[in-house]
Amino acid sequence: MPDLVLIDRAFQRIMRALVDSGRAPHYAELARALGLTTEEGRGLLRDVMQAYPIGWLHPETDYIASFPPLNNLPTQYRITVRGEQRWFAQCGFEATSATWLFPGDTVRVDAPCLDCGDPVTVEMRDGRITWADPPGVVGHLAFGFGPSRGRPHYL
Amino acid sequence: MNLFRSEEHARRWKDFQPRSEEGFITLPDLVGFFGTESRRHMLDGDYLSTWYPRRGAERRAYLEQIGKTSPFWMGTPDPPAA
Repeated sequence: MPDLVLIDRAFQRIMRALVDSGRAPHYAELARALGLTTEEGRGLLRDVMQAYPIGWLHPETDYIASFPPLNNLPTQYRITVRGEQRWFAQCGFEATSATWLFPGDTVRVDAPCLDCGDPVTVEMRDGRITWADPPGVVGHLAFGFGPSRGRPHYL
Repeated sequence: MNLFRSEEHARRWKDFQPRSEEGFITLPDLVGFFGTESRRHMLDGDYLSTWYPRRGAERRAYLEQIGKTSPFWMGTPDPPAA
């Protein structure tokens, strides 16, 4: 049975690495940080992803692709904090959740509109919208939640 | 799950699905939807074991609060066709 305390610690290591550097650690780095063998690290990473199924590994690898609200694989949702654009959000909806990873900071989301390519910008601070350009920015759920909708809901 | 400059921009998107006409959400509602209590604890040491399991119920409650109770939003099966 997986060790829940260890899984919590691993989750925090991954999330903290993403916040601090914009990159998720490899399982070998995770293992070293937690005093485990690399194979134990790989198993632990798989346990974390099973417990956090809104993220995922790149298919047929043990590379973290998505660890929402952030993404290890670049997306069109670029996140800028303190003037540095190091981060990507999993999707436009999760982009609005990134504010909770940077308390006290302004978090800026920049993305191209998928219709026209013109910019969409949202700035938030501690969960509050401080700027949106254009003011009529909307969210759009294309395929619906739930497994019966046929396409990944985050697209 | 995308951000658009406006609803009209979304409708002009090449991949727009007619079913997703019900998929619009205002930015303030979206911020609330993805900012429920559990999401504010992602940096806590017990997030995965304590807070993440609460996320689903919080999100369903929030969707009910803003009137998005269709299967499309709630992730429930569509009712059988008549």
